[in-house]
Amino acid sequence: MKRAYLIELTIFRDYGRQLLALGFLVAVLVGCGMQTVLAAPSIITCMFFMMGAMGAAAYDEQNDWGRFRLTLPLSRRDVVLGRYGAIVTLGLGGMAVGLLAAFAISAVASAVELPGELSQALALDAGTLSAMAFATTFCLLIGATVASVVTPIYFRLGQTKATQLLPTIIVLLFVLPVVFLGNSGLLDGALPGLEQIASLLAYIETPEGLAVGCAVMVAASAVILAVSAALSLRLYETREL
Amino acid sequence: MTKGSSAALIEARGLTKHYDGFSLEGVNLAVNEGEVVGFVGQNGAGKSTTIKALLGLIRVDGGEGSVLGTPSDELTRASGAATKERVGVVFDTVSLPGHLRVADVGRIYASAFASWDAHRFSQLTRDLGLDPKKAVKDLSRGMGMKLSLACALAHDPQVLILDEATAGLDPMARDEALERLRDFVAQPGHAILMSSHITSDLERIADRIVCIDAGRIVFDLEKDAITDSAGVARCRVADLERIASSGMVPDSELRYLRHDYGIDVLVPDRFAFAEMFPDIPCDRMTIDDYMSLTLKGGVR
Repeated sequence: MKRAYLIELTIFRDYGRQLLALGFLVAVLVGCGMQTVLAAPSIITCMFFMMGAMGAAAYDEQNDWGRFRLTLPLSRRDVVLGRYGAIVTLGLGGMAVGLLAAFAISAVASAVELPGELSQALALDAGTLSAMAFATTFCLLIGATVASVVTPIYFRLGQTKATQLLPTIIVLLFVLPVVFLGNSGLLDGALPGLEQIASLLAYIETPEGLAVGCAVMVAASAVILAVSAALSLRLYETREL
Repeated sequence: MTKGSSAALIEARGLTKHYDGFSLEGVNLAVNEGEVVGFVGQNGAGKSTTIKALLGLIRVDGGEGSVLGTPSDELTRASGAATKERVGVVFDTVSLPGHLRVADVGRIYASAFASWDAHRFSQLTRDLGLDPKKAVKDLSRGMGMKLSLACALAHDPQVLILDEATAGLDPMARDEALERLRDFVAQPGHAILMSSHITSDLERIADRIVCIDAGRIVFDLEKDAITDSAGVARCRVADLERIASSGMVPDSELRYLRHDYGIDVLVPDRFAFAEMFPDIPCDRMTIDDYMSLTLKGGVR
């Protein structure tokens, strides 16, 4: 698995560098545009998980690389686990860049008086840090989930076919259930468990709740990625190349 | 009629694979130590499918293959992947993402192969005129094939599986590549399976020629039996009758190909033929001639 992971990173290196630079720029622009550093790390984290999964699949189809790779001393299992390792590395790299950009923007804003009330808006306080931690781990969960949905499909069908099918799959998985529930009348009275959700959100606003919430979302991301990797292994095992 | 042995380094036994519109039908093939086996056939005949099946890249419907004693279906599993440390593979294109530079390709192989010889790779790329900073996508087809060959040779493989590996090389580069392949196979324990449309390359390097057509092996012969012993008799219609009635070639094996200007007849022993029919011109056989007569020719 280590070999496949290192190969993925070598292939990803240039793309990863471009993405990290782009991510830093996006973080700065988002921070200044929204007048808060809160959103930048979360947006970059989510973006990097998705782009990692999609970008890696695109390389597989260049010059039949995906087929040739299996003539190297790698098993299909190595390839799948190496791919997930690379996606997670890129996603967490994105998170690190987002956080770095947020801290850098905030440091500049506190050192230099920016026009308007931008310096104040970009300052980091305990509340902003807590919100940033929650938003970033929440987007880690979202990004990991999207990567976990698309990667098995890429492994089974290849990027070209998968890209044709993915919009339909995304609509089926994420849009139709919401539309169905919204129009079914099931939610007309009130959302089931609304009180529990409210108390959960209140708990998350406490320091302990924030730590537990973030830990649960990180663990859920890991579990979702692990389940997805297991599915990819099964699908890729029988793929003809 | 596989010329195999129990010690074959690469072996296919009855490989069968069905697709819509094409089937590989019971392909038998063996590559023994010290051999270069040329694998020929028309486009779509089944050469690449056979190679993919041997490498475990596709699942077969019947039969089995093996490389260095490892069953083909294990080569992409954890149990068999290590065998590929000793296998060098070249496909008909540079099978690497285009943005990678030549030096990056070396890094990829260094990660993949425990036996990777970075010094040898540098030397090979230098000898072959490959700039380490040049991207794969900027290499010409010929330079790309040189890179692929350098990669295949720089991890000390025991067998090479080459699918159209000399395609796109200029004559000088082909000479050089063939020379390297000859040196490779001269080492103990080595062998090469080489599919190619450039039969002149195979005439220079192959020990045996295996021809596939429509998914079936149509002949598996020592190369010398084709290029040294066999011949093409350039006949008139009456000559064909004389040859047939002489009994030199059994009727069921008398292959011929009609042209506007005469009939070409496949003669298994051109020296004996020249003695028996001194008035009929008989040329040396090429692999192309043999394939044409076998695949397109008629049998009496």
